[in-house]
Amino acid sequence: MPVGVDNLERLESDALREVAEATGLQALIEVRARYLGKKGSVAQVLRGIGTLSSEERARVGQEANATKQRIESVVAERRAGLERQARDRTLESERLDITLPGVEEPRLGSLHPITRVFRDMVDFFSSMGFAIEEGPEVETEYHNFEALNLPAEHPARDEHDTFYVEGGNVLRTHTSNVQIRTMTGRTPPFRFIAPGRVYRHDSSPRHSPMFHQIEGFLVDEDVTFADLKGVLHAFGRHLMGGEIDLRFRANDFPFTEPSAEMDYACLLCERQGCAVCSQTGWIEWGGCGMIHPRVLENCGIDSDRYQGFAFGMGVDRTAILRFGLPHIRLLFDGDLQVLGQI
Amino acid sequence: MRVSLDWLAEFIDLPPADTLVERLTLSGFDDVEIHTSGPDLSALRVGRVIERAQHPNADRLSVCRVDIASGDPIEVVCGAPNVAADQKIAFAPVGTRLPDGTLLKRAKIRGVASSGMICSARELGLGDDHEGILVLDGDLEVGVPLSEVIAAGGRELEVTITPNRGDEASLIGLAREVRALFGGELRTPEAEPAEAGPAADETVRIEIEAPDDCHRYVARVVRGVRVEPSPEWVVAKLAASGVRAINNVVDVTNLVLLEFGQPLHAFDLAKLRGGVVKVRRAEMGEKLSTLDGETRELTAEDLVIADEQRPIALAGVIGGANTEVGDSTTDVLIESAHFHPTRIRLAARRHGLSTEASYRFERCVDRDGIERAANRAARLLAELAGGVVALGAVTAEGSPADATEEIRFPTPRANKLLGTSLTSEQMSELLERVGVQSRETSADELLCSIPSYRNDLHIHQDLTEEVARIYGYDRIPTTDPAGVLRGGRVPQGWRVADGARDALVAAGLVECQTLPFISPSWLDSLGLEADSPLRNGLRLANPIRDDEPLLRTTLLPSLLRLVHQNRSRQVDRVDVFELGRLFRQSTGGGTWGEGLPLERQGLAAVLTGREEPGLWEAPPAPLFFRAKGIAKKLLSQLSYVAWFPGDGVPPYLRPGAAAVIEVAGVAIGALGELHPDVARNFELDVGCAVIELDLAELLSLPQQEGRYREVSRQPSVRRDLAVVIDVEQAAEEVLEAVRKAAGRDLISAELFDRYAGQGVPEGRVSLAFRLVFQRSDRTLKDEEVTKSIDRVVRMLAHRFNGELR
Repeated sequence: MPVGVDNLERLESDALREVAEATGLQALIEVRARYLGKKGSVAQVLRGIGTLSSEERARVGQEANATKQRIESVVAERRAGLERQARDRTLESERLDITLPGVEEPRLGSLHPITRVFRDMVDFFSSMGFAIEEGPEVETEYHNFEALNLPAEHPARDEHDTFYVEGGNVLRTHTSNVQIRTMTGRTPPFRFIAPGRVYRHDSSPRHSPMFHQIEGFLVDEDVTFADLKGVLHAFGRHLMGGEIDLRFRANDFPFTEPSAEMDYACLLCERQGCAVCSQTGWIEWGGCGMIHPRVLENCGIDSDRYQGFAFGMGVDRTAILRFGLPHIRLLFDGDLQVLGQI
Repeated sequence: MRVSLDWLAEFIDLPPADTLVERLTLSGFDDVEIHTSGPDLSALRVGRVIERAQHPNADRLSVCRVDIASGDPIEVVCGAPNVAADQKIAFAPVGTRLPDGTLLKRAKIRGVASSGMICSARELGLGDDHEGILVLDGDLEVGVPLSEVIAAGGRELEVTITPNRGDEASLIGLAREVRALFGGELRTPEAEPAEAGPAADETVRIEIEAPDDCHRYVARVVRGVRVEPSPEWVVAKLAASGVRAINNVVDVTNLVLLEFGQPLHAFDLAKLRGGVVKVRRAEMGEKLSTLDGETRELTAEDLVIADEQRPIALAGVIGGANTEVGDSTTDVLIESAHFHPTRIRLAARRHGLSTEASYRFERCVDRDGIERAANRAARLLAELAGGVVALGAVTAEGSPADATEEIRFPTPRANKLLGTSLTSEQMSELLERVGVQSRETSADELLCSIPSYRNDLHIHQDLTEEVARIYGYDRIPTTDPAGVLRGGRVPQGWRVADGARDALVAAGLVECQTLPFISPSWLDSLGLEADSPLRNGLRLANPIRDDEPLLRTTLLPSLLRLVHQNRSRQVDRVDVFELGRLFRQSTGGGTWGEGLPLERQGLAAVLTGREEPGLWEAPPAPLFFRAKGIAKKLLSQLSYVAWFPGDGVPPYLRPGAAAVIEVAGVAIGALGELHPDVARNFELDVGCAVIELDLAELLSLPQQEGRYREVSRQPSVRRDLAVVIDVEQAAEEVLEAVRKAAGRDLISAELFDRYAGQGVPEGRVSLAFRLVFQRSDRTLKDEEVTKSIDRVVRMLAHRFNGELR
């Protein structure tokens, strides 16, 4: 093969064309070997320069090396391009159906609606410095009634629809028994809540013989009815997630004086009246008031020095409104088709 | 309490209905409503008969075309003889529900289509007249709702009265409350009767033999009455309050009861023996036939009204048949008394009878109103039954009733309780409105006189409530409480319960709550031994369902029933749990004190799993191992280290697929697959595993939180080892032995495979262990590890007859 710079130029242009035409990695490797391999064209050129003058030899040698480098870099570029193409093809062919469901391992269960509402309530009161207290569900008549100023002959007992346990004791009809158990033998200040289960002998279809209450009480030297309103407003805002309209109605509970029932404005109809609030615009929330001095005295607390408020509210109603359940019994039916939604 | 609003308006001027309802609601009445009594006529229309034609197939029927000012005239068949063209009539279109409940449908009567009905008065619920249709005033506009042109009954006020306010259970009581809220002048009915004839005390004398039970007894005698039906206005007033008219004498006593809240009773004087009325305790076993047709056996706890020979009434509750006023009665004795509330309440309860009278006596009557009520009744009897009121009342006194007549009211204390700053004058005025007169004894105190009808006011806090109630709770400020800040403590039991819930939810279980009432037969279904402590349940005296009288001693039966229900609703996977109190009789002290039972927080879970693995899911592990894994993870999340030995499992679990849950050497529960017999008893069509934990017991056991150990930076060496051993050999034991034999450079050993089948002899199983060795001070040499492994292999061969595979 004649040796000269002209040849190198032609050789280079051939190489570049072939590199560009190589359609796969293998073809590219072959092209490279043909031009740049040990027996490749460039090597042959270099091998032939021995016959040239030293001046000519240096010039052609230099040019041959430069040509080799240029081809090398084009090959590298081409190689990267081909590899990218190959990878893209693979990715394309291995594309997933991303609409298939994800793996939930294991599938999450769910907390009971009452548990969720209780947690929400406890969060609020814990942050306000109220401690949780508990009490028995099978309770003495003393703790459930008498100590709360509800003697056996009191007509208000009729409203309690009590379950009696053979041989004495009752299923607690409210969480107020915890007031007595917590306050007896201790000295104020008290800041407690008592979430728990209570029972009333009521089997009408819209009621359940088992339901839940949260009781709260605060006793100190200067706790007022105005403070009671303040705490319940704050609690209401926490629970309903925004401003709410509360109203306090005079009422009678033997264990508080003054006593009040509280309602919140129906959030569904905004007081226009709907099925949820029985057309009244208000939803009953619970009872509250200033702890009756006799209750404090029954717990050994000086009612001239200390005063305080107590409140108790149903939890189930809040739960069924929050999750849109049509009635309370669904809470305790254990129907997974219902509970599984929540 | 339900009363006619018009009747109430006779006692006091009333505000508009809406205002009345709202203020009564806020001031202490529950469920306040004003409703219109009588039939709902809003769907009916005033119609005009355009034309009346003879029915082609029936002599007595006509076919009328009626205009009700909407759409085309309507054709109806009518059977009334008095229907005529051009009449205005009451028309019920198709789809109307008539007052008697029937829904009106399109009909074909003797071959003629009829689309509605022309109504008679009876069909409208307006009377008994059904001789013909109701013909309306000819000037009425066609098409207007009938309810706008016919006043079908009056308006009634209905309220629920709180137990402390018996005084409100009367028209005068309601009127006083209206006056407190709105002001105005109270109008009380005339009570003084005109008297004539021999004095009453010549005819009868009163003897109170039980002075603590009867504080006062007033009798009036009315002679020469004519017993007959009451006039319409009396019947209507009673009916509005839900009281059925009987005859003019009885009706008068009921009318006065409603007016003044004082229960009265009328005796036929001629049937009274010995001219004496005694108030005494009954003798044990004495019998009385009462007006409701029952014969009641009395005890010495019952207070009776008696004559010389026999009881004639169960005092304060119900009268006796032997002195009942009837058609032949001419002379009447009217009783107005003040009985002790508790005595009456106990009697009413014992005899299972709550009457209008007992309801009011239990809540205490107006001690100063006894005589007035008797007088009012006597006066009305003269007026309505033509009687002559005998001269004077006969009265007798028992012990005085407990009554609070005065209360010292420290006004600053009221402000301190309410968080208000009312002046003494303001408070005095507010109290005046509820009938409490007061005078200032010092700058800080009012001396208050309590009206005789307010038996609920005893202490100054009661007056504070009155002040607040009339002032308005909504006007009391809203403030934040001040005080010492202390951490809101959450009890350990609460935390552990919540932690357990979270762990189970994370494991895919749904939390349920079931009622705690169970049947003894469910315990049988669990296959419990006769002496099982779970049979020591508490029994309710008044269960909701007679066959579920026990309080639960275990959560399991309710949960298994729940699984069954869900399976029958075709739920595929039922993985559930519940936390709840369990109750057992206690021989010593109970959990919460003397005289109370054992009451402990329990937890139970039931797993069925899915029958077929879903997309991406591996075939499910045997249920036992799922349950074990869940229990272990739950306990370790709560920082407890648990063991699962196989001895002493409860009888309702499947032998060989159950374990006890043990923490710190104490059994705190059990887990395993349900015994097939038990599954059959609960009609379960899938395999179930259960987990039971005594959370209360768990709380008493030591927790072990994780602690830092030094982390080695030296390389570790891993060796896997498969050994074939007898299939009966417990794997846990082998693993423990491997750990011991491997020496102190072993940092972990786990069982990663278990295989039986081809290549492994019958009765043998291959266990594969993965051992990891590491030191913290230097790199381990290969020979060192090999030496350890050799030791393990020798031990396996020697102790477990193990062969390397």
